[in-house]
Amino acid sequence: MGERTFAEDVKQLGYGAGQILHGEGILAITKALLQSGVSYVGGYPGAPVSHMIDVLADANDVLLRPMGVYFEQSGSEAAAAALLGASINYPVRGAVTWKSVVGTNVASDALSHVASAGVRGGCLIVIGEDYGEGSSILQERTHSAALKSSVPLLDPRNSLQSFARFVEEGFGLSEACHEPVFFSIRIRACHMRGTLVCKDNVKPAVSTLLPLGAQSFSIDRINLPPFTYAMEAQKFEHRLPAARRYVIDHALNEIFDGDDREIGIVMQGGQWNTTVRGLAELGVADIYGRTAVPLLVLNCLHPLVPEQLIAFMRGKRQIFVVEEGMPNFIERELQALAHEARLDVEIHGKDLLAPNGEYVPRLVVGGLAKFFAGCSPRGVPAGAIADRYRRLTEHQERITAVLREPVAKRPPSFCTGCPERPLFSAMKILREREPAIGDTHVSHDIGCNTFSTQAPFNIGNSVLGYGMGLASNSAVAPLFGKRTIAVMGDGGFWHNGLTTGVANAVYNKQDAVFVIIDNGYAAATGQHHVPSTGTNARGERLTTTIPGALRGLGVTWIKTVESYRIPEMIGTLRDALTTRAPGLKVVIAKGECMLERQRRERPRKRARAAAGKTVEQPRFGVDPDVCTGDHSCMRFNGCPSLTLRPSPDALREDPIAHVDETCVGCGVCGEVAHAAVLCPSFYEMKIVANPGWWRRLLARVRRAVIGRLAALAQ
Amino acid sequence: MNEAGFVSVLIPAVGGQGGGVLSEWLVEAAIADGQVAHGTSIPGVAQRTGSTTYYVEIFPPGDREPTVSLYPVPGALDVLLAPELLEVGRMIELGFPSPARTTIITSTHRLYSIQEKLALGNAIYPADRLVDAARAFSRTLHAFDALALAREHRTEVNAILLGALAGSGVLPLKDDAYRGAIRAKGVQVDANLRGFELGLALARRGPVAAAARNGAAHAAPAADDPRVAAMPEAVRPIVRQALPRLIDYQDARYAERYLALLQPFVAGDAEVAAHVARYLALWMTYEDAIRVADLKTRAARFTRIQGEARTPGAVVEVTDYLKPDLDEIYGILPHALVAPFARWAERRWPHGRPTLTQHVRTTTVLGYLRVWLLGRLRRIRPISYRAHEEFALITRWLAVVRRCSTWNIELAREVARAGQLVKGYGDVRRRMTAHLDRVLAATLAAAEKALRDGACESADFSQATRLARDYRLLVLSGPDGERKAEALAAS
Repeated sequence: MGERTFAEDVKQLGYGAGQILHGEGILAITKALLQSGVSYVGGYPGAPVSHMIDVLADANDVLLRPMGVYFEQSGSEAAAAALLGASINYPVRGAVTWKSVVGTNVASDALSHVASAGVRGGCLIVIGEDYGEGSSILQERTHSAALKSSVPLLDPRNSLQSFARFVEEGFGLSEACHEPVFFSIRIRACHMRGTLVCKDNVKPAVSTLLPLGAQSFSIDRINLPPFTYAMEAQKFEHRLPAARRYVIDHALNEIFDGDDREIGIVMQGGQWNTTVRGLAELGVADIYGRTAVPLLVLNCLHPLVPEQLIAFMRGKRQIFVVEEGMPNFIERELQALAHEARLDVEIHGKDLLAPNGEYVPRLVVGGLAKFFAGCSPRGVPAGAIADRYRRLTEHQERITAVLREPVAKRPPSFCTGCPERPLFSAMKILREREPAIGDTHVSHDIGCNTFSTQAPFNIGNSVLGYGMGLASNSAVAPLFGKRTIAVMGDGGFWHNGLTTGVANAVYNKQDAVFVIIDNGYAAATGQHHVPSTGTNARGERLTTTIPGALRGLGVTWIKTVESYRIPEMIGTLRDALTTRAPGLKVVIAKGECMLERQRRERPRKRARAAAGKTVEQPRFGVDPDVCTGDHSCMRFNGCPSLTLRPSPDALREDPIAHVDETCVGCGVCGEVAHAAVLCPSFYEMKIVANPGWWRRLLARVRRAVIGRLAALAQ
Repeated sequence: MNEAGFVSVLIPAVGGQGGGVLSEWLVEAAIADGQVAHGTSIPGVAQRTGSTTYYVEIFPPGDREPTVSLYPVPGALDVLLAPELLEVGRMIELGFPSPARTTIITSTHRLYSIQEKLALGNAIYPADRLVDAARAFSRTLHAFDALALAREHRTEVNAILLGALAGSGVLPLKDDAYRGAIRAKGVQVDANLRGFELGLALARRGPVAAAARNGAAHAAPAADDPRVAAMPEAVRPIVRQALPRLIDYQDARYAERYLALLQPFVAGDAEVAAHVARYLALWMTYEDAIRVADLKTRAARFTRIQGEARTPGAVVEVTDYLKPDLDEIYGILPHALVAPFARWAERRWPHGRPTLTQHVRTTTVLGYLRVWLLGRLRRIRPISYRAHEEFALITRWLAVVRRCSTWNIELAREVARAGQLVKGYGDVRRRMTAHLDRVLAATLAAAEKALRDGACESADFSQATRLARDYRLLVLSGPDGERKAEALAAS
């Protein structure tokens, strides 16, 4: 089970026609998959679509399995894309999901092959376009991946109803053009809560309950020449034209007529909401979509239909294109088409909006205001638009005067009690106290562990990709002159690290230290299971282990250390960095993800305490009169529960350290104070609720003796 | 409702604060009340203690489906509902709330950012400025410490804020719709309903804008000595705090020694005297192993810890993490006895002396006794090696302050303030005293150069003054600052 449970939500996935579903965008998409009669679903978790895997996992026992729908949490996006192979030969509908653009990159080998061979059953790839605010990855768009592989790309308007419609249309489109279809959904849209009017679920014609039984062979579906040449020709001669026909026949792109005839706005479907809101704030439209300016909403970004675009531009003097991301394929296409069709139309877009970055309202409203300054729509005085824009923005001129200095940034970091933090505390202590050994290059990886590159650790010289930490160290190690370190989480290890990293390092006899953080889950995405978790997403037991996999590849120097034991970790790292043993030295830092552990333990402890049973809860504290307020502990720690408070001492001006009540008692602050020789301010208090008579008696005797001695000293 | 007929609510939270639950309550309450509502968020990876925002829009019921926005529009926000104060500042920085339109409801408590925590000095963003900004960029402001309220009533900040939102009357929803949403969500229902009612009652009483405090308030002891009464206004309260501290630390004679060291400054510039009075008192009560043992074995400490546990009837067992290094161990022994050894040890281990790791269970009799006995060594402190070393440095610092006082008062003030650098234990303490040493030497060198360049009355000490101030501020700003400060002194 992941970070979020959708056990309640998935009940709604069984709703029939006319019932109203309440929930997130992801839930509506999943419901529409079931309404489309999918035979199989899968994917690899990653924000913003990681919850889709949770929804599917929670729905597996109650809904998917009874319907005969096969579900798997794939080992990587490549495995998820390869899942679509089922639809090459057989008329089965399937859907997979992953985080894009990174997931698309991982998947692209399989994806290119599926797109080349073509599909018989409809295939939908739900890509979480992790772009803009809240993104955790490099900033690229998926659009060009769709172009190069001739995969149609849907970018629907944002509402649950629209998502459901375009999932269903996506399957139709896929079957019409025999290509898998990208269904792109942005970060905020994934988490958007709203309502959906449901339809009945459709039981798949082919399923685990009604299996295929007979194989189908067709040589022209094999990706070998000469068939590959024919496949390429198919794409451009048949498949994309078929897709264009489908786009028109099913009105996938929407036109909203306005009063004005001479100007128009063309937008990506996903930009609809922001653009219409911008128009409403400027008084050019209302929030119900009634607009003074004609709008062309491209819910299908690839393929575009030239006739449709030309028809919209014909007779207009000015067009404004709201197209997020670079390159600006749509704007360029419009310009080329206008030129070919000899249309006398000015096309604006990137010149009035920012060329790159997420199109947030600040940019879109500003761009619209600039556009209308040149051509106000009929019936709306130009001055009125400028006036409204001024009212929205005039207060912003005073912001710097009032705040005077920038507000401190708040980057994400390790949670309270996180088992990954002490590893980086150990690495930083080793780096600062024994620089000859510990101050070395660290090739880092993707996951919660990437937070170590932020303050206070600043550990990790490069971050290359998921499971790439070790491979990205391959040329650094021999060129560095002293032993280097590669760090990877267990999620990255199983996703790609085992083959790309370990097999490569063993094969090339790489002499480096490889630290694997084994917290039991792909924690960053929301505690998704990995092969070494012990169970898979369907709850079936597994016996795969990380040391087992390493030994299988021939690694012999493997040490497992409990990550909270900082001195032991420092010692093991020192050993690994200085031993004469050749080859890869693997240190496994073990400790269960604290979020998952607390989720399990907290209710249990609460119930025990409520039942009057003895419950022990450790927590840490700082003696306020012992702390001198130098905050050195925070430089090696960074725990959210280790914070500041005003000094109770009137003479000390600087705030002192303080452990707040969110502390889970992991002990890292005490261990750090010890290992880095900081100060004696930390103490652990073991809070024993509902103590037994013996403990109460012992405590009373101790208190009496201690009280006497304390009084004696005063 | 705004003029377009809907209400927009932005919730800027910190990952782990329950902003998601708050927005869910709100959306479900609105839907249950017959409104059209949607909410969205950007949790993702920022959920891990970073800034996260949630956004909700509520429309009146009707046949036509409204076009929702997934983002707030800067300047067009109706409600800013903030479970933490710095995040209000961040939203103001981004231009979201506007004085024409926005109701701000915020808790005034702070969750400090890592940059605020890492500084060696005080880098906390001024809370009063955040509240002032919230007032300047809102139509109505409700600001109160929801965390303190939550702790007092064993509930959660987000439930109190939901109540305050209901009580503010900006949304067209019935109170029972919110209560229903809390019940329907089914998480800690009783505690959350309690929080909701608290917030509701508070906001119903009208806008509250409690001024946030930037620090703690301190009461000065009243008892006075005629010598203290004669001191300048700026110095007196500091000395009043210092004397009981010195007596508590050592004895009355020790306090006399303090007064004697302070005496030469009292007649001079009051600001110099005030800095000397403060940092001399802190320095003279340096935290040696004896002091730590003494503080850790006081009865009041155990009473305080029992209170921190917040569990009535619980037994609390305390384990202290002590790790004195070699310096701290021989530091408490008589100077005459250990000086040769100490000099050898300093050469033998220039960085990182050997340490003695101890986990002492101070609530057991034997554990307590070990620490308590250490605390009783306070009588031999005046002849200890550490006292000898500390007073040598103190004397040097005071001498430089006195010398600078004869040249230029601004310079003397800065040199006196450099005493703020002395803090920490073990390696940190050694690093910090080295900083003081370095800034004194560099400042003196700069001042003497200024003297050589001009006659005493006309000498320009501004460079030396700036050096002393910049050095101190750089060191106090954090890890990078220390390196920059060293470079500054070297240049």
